[in-house]
Amino acid sequence: MKRASLLGIFFILLSACTGGESDNGPIKIGYIGPLTGDAAAYGVDTLNGVKMAIEERNAAGGVNGRMVELAVEDGRCTGADAASAAQKLVSVDRVTAIIGGQCSGETLAAAPITEAAETLLLSPLSSSPDVTEAGDFVFRNYPSDALKTKAMAKYFAEKGWKRVAMLSENTDFAMAFRAALTENLGKEAVVFDEVVEPGTKDFRTLALRLKDVSFDVFFPNAQGDAVMAAMVEQMRDQGLTQPMVTHDVGDSMTLVDLIPEAVSGMQVINVPSAGEGGEFETKYRAKFGDAQSTIAFAAHAYDAANVLMDSIAKVGTSGPRLRDALYDLPEHRGIVGRFSFNADGDVVGIPYVLKEFRDGKIVKVKDIAVD
Amino acid sequence: MQLVINALIAGSLAALIAGGLALVYGVLGVFNLALGQMVLVGGYATWWLYQSLALPLVVSVFGGVMIGAIVAWCAFEVFVAPFYKRHRFLPLVTTIALSMMIDGVLLLLFEARPRSILANAKTIVALGDARISLEQMFLIAITFILLCLCAYVLHSTVIGRRIRAVVQNDHAAMSLGINAPLLHRMIFIVSGMLAALGGVFIGIDQNLTPTLAFPITIKAYAAIIAGGKGNLWGAIICAYLIALIEQMVVGIEWFGAFYVPAGYQQSVALLFIILFLLFKPSGLFMLKNRSA
Repeated sequence: MKRASLLGIFFILLSACTGGESDNGPIKIGYIGPLTGDAAAYGVDTLNGVKMAIEERNAAGGVNGRMVELAVEDGRCTGADAASAAQKLVSVDRVTAIIGGQCSGETLAAAPITEAAETLLLSPLSSSPDVTEAGDFVFRNYPSDALKTKAMAKYFAEKGWKRVAMLSENTDFAMAFRAALTENLGKEAVVFDEVVEPGTKDFRTLALRLKDVSFDVFFPNAQGDAVMAAMVEQMRDQGLTQPMVTHDVGDSMTLVDLIPEAVSGMQVINVPSAGEGGEFETKYRAKFGDAQSTIAFAAHAYDAANVLMDSIAKVGTSGPRLRDALYDLPEHRGIVGRFSFNADGDVVGIPYVLKEFRDGKIVKVKDIAVD
Repeated sequence: MQLVINALIAGSLAALIAGGLALVYGVLGVFNLALGQMVLVGGYATWWLYQSLALPLVVSVFGGVMIGAIVAWCAFEVFVAPFYKRHRFLPLVTTIALSMMIDGVLLLLFEARPRSILANAKTIVALGDARISLEQMFLIAITFILLCLCAYVLHSTVIGRRIRAVVQNDHAAMSLGINAPLLHRMIFIVSGMLAALGGVFIGIDQNLTPTLAFPITIKAYAAIIAGGKGNLWGAIICAYLIALIEQMVVGIEWFGAFYVPAGYQQSVALLFIILFLLFKPSGLFMLKNRSA
C-alpha cells in the first residue's frame, strides 16, 4: 500500500509537468489487463479486441475528427499491479477512460483510483459480483456472476443434482463465484469444498479424497485454463466419472489441446460464443491469428471500446458526462448482442448458454434463462 | 497407497530438480536462481520438437534435454563462470537476471497459453485400489535410475573421486592435476540437464505455463536447505519427504476429525521444515564439510 501511494505521489508530480490536454489532439484511452502471468491469455485477447476497434475507428476518421490513442498497462491479474497501472493511466497519461481490468481482482483494485479521478472504468470481462458495488464510474459489459451462479444453481436443480463437489483456486474471481454459488445452492448442497493456492497443479490427493465423497456433479472453479486442465484431468485419472460443469474459464479451446479426452463431456455455462464463425472472427484472425482463449472475450472488449468511443463522440471527454451517457444509453448493438447498462453499471441483455465439449469442439446445448 | 504414489510422483519431480541444484551448490558453492527457468526451457523445447516439428517422442525428449544442456552451458559461461571465483554470492544476482531474461523469451516464443507435451489421455494402470499412469511410472523409474547412476558415478568412478576431491578443496585438487574448472562446468551442465528432464515430466504429466518457474525454484531450495546445504542425498531425501508431507497434510483425516484445508498444503509442509530447522539448524543430513 505504501508503495502504491508513493507511486501515486510520484505520478501526480510528474503529471503536473505535462500540461493540460488540448481539445483537438488525440483522445487517450487506457487499457488494463493481464499481459503476463497465468491469465495472460485473457489479456492478449481483450487487448487485441480493443486495438481492433480503435484501428477501425481511426481508419474511419476517428472520433469527431480526433484520433484515438491507446495506453496499455499490464495488470498481471493482481490487484497491486492493476492499482499502480490505474494510477499511472489516470495521473500520467491522463486518459479519458479505461477499458479494464479483465480479472475481477484488477477491476476491484483499480476502481477506487479511477473513482477518485472521476474517470470511467469499463471492464469487458470482470464478472465478480463485487464489481456491481465498485463505484459510480465503474461499468462492465460482461454479466455478473451473481446471475451466472443463479443460472448454474437452476441448471443443477433441473438435472436433479443435489450434491455438489467444488474445487476453487484462491483468486478474487473464483472465490466470489464460490461464495455466490454456495449461496444459491444452499450450504448443505456443497458436499466437498476445497480451496487451493493459485497455480496449484497437483490435485491427485484431493481427487483421492473425493472418491470417498458421494456427489452428483463436480465444479472445477479455476482462474485459468492451465489449472483447470490439471483439475479435470487428475479427477478423471482417478476414475471419477461424475458430470462436470464449470464457468467461463472452461470455455476455452486450449483445454481441448491440453486434455482432449478428459475434458470431453464437460459442460460450461457462459455467455454465448459471440463473434464465433462470423465476420468478426475472420477479421480478428487475419490481424492477430487464433484467439488465445476464446474469440468471445475479444468480442466483449471490442464492444466495450466501441460503446466508449460512441459515447465520447456524443458527449465529449468529461468523465461525469461520459458516465451519464452510459447510464442513459438506450442500447448498443455490438458483436455480443444488444446491451445497455443498469443503475449499478452492470450490463443488461447478455444471455447465458449451456455448452458442452464434444469431439474436440465446444458446442452450444441450449439457452439458459435467468430471471 | 495412492497417497504414497502421489508423493512418489511429486517427489520424483522435485528430487530430479533439487538433486541438480544440490550438486551445483555442493561442488561450486553457487546458488542458481534460474533453475526453474531451466526446467521450463527443457519442457518447452521438448514440446516444440514434439508438437511443432512432429519428431518422435523419444527424440524430442532427448533433444529437449540437450537444449537444456546447451542453455545451461551458455548460462554457465556468461552468468556464472566470470563471477563465482570472485565471490560465490555474485551468481546469486546474475542468475536472477538470467531468470528474468529466460522468462521474457519463453513468453515471447511460446505465448502465455498453457502447453502440454502429450495431450492424449494417459494409460492408467490399477495397482490394487491405487491408480497410476504409465507415464508417471516412467517418471518414477527414470528418476530412480538417474539417482542410482549419480550414486555410482560419484562413489565408484574416477570422475566421481575427482569431483569429491574438488569439493573438499579445489586448489589442492588442481595442484594434483585435476581440472577443477572443467568439472565445475560439467556439473553445471548436468544440473541443467536434470532440470530440463524435470520440465519434460511437467509437460507430460501436467502442463507448462511461463509462470511456473519461480515456485519450482523455491521448492528445490526448500529441499536442499532442509537436507543440509550441499548434501546431494539429503536434498533428494528431503524432496521426497516434503512431497509426502504435502500429500499427507490434505489426504489424511487428522485425528479422525478434520482435513487440513488444501490451501495450506504447501505452508504446512514448509512450516514443518522450519520447525525442523529450529531444532537442527544444520539440516537433516549435514556433514562436517560440504559434500556432493
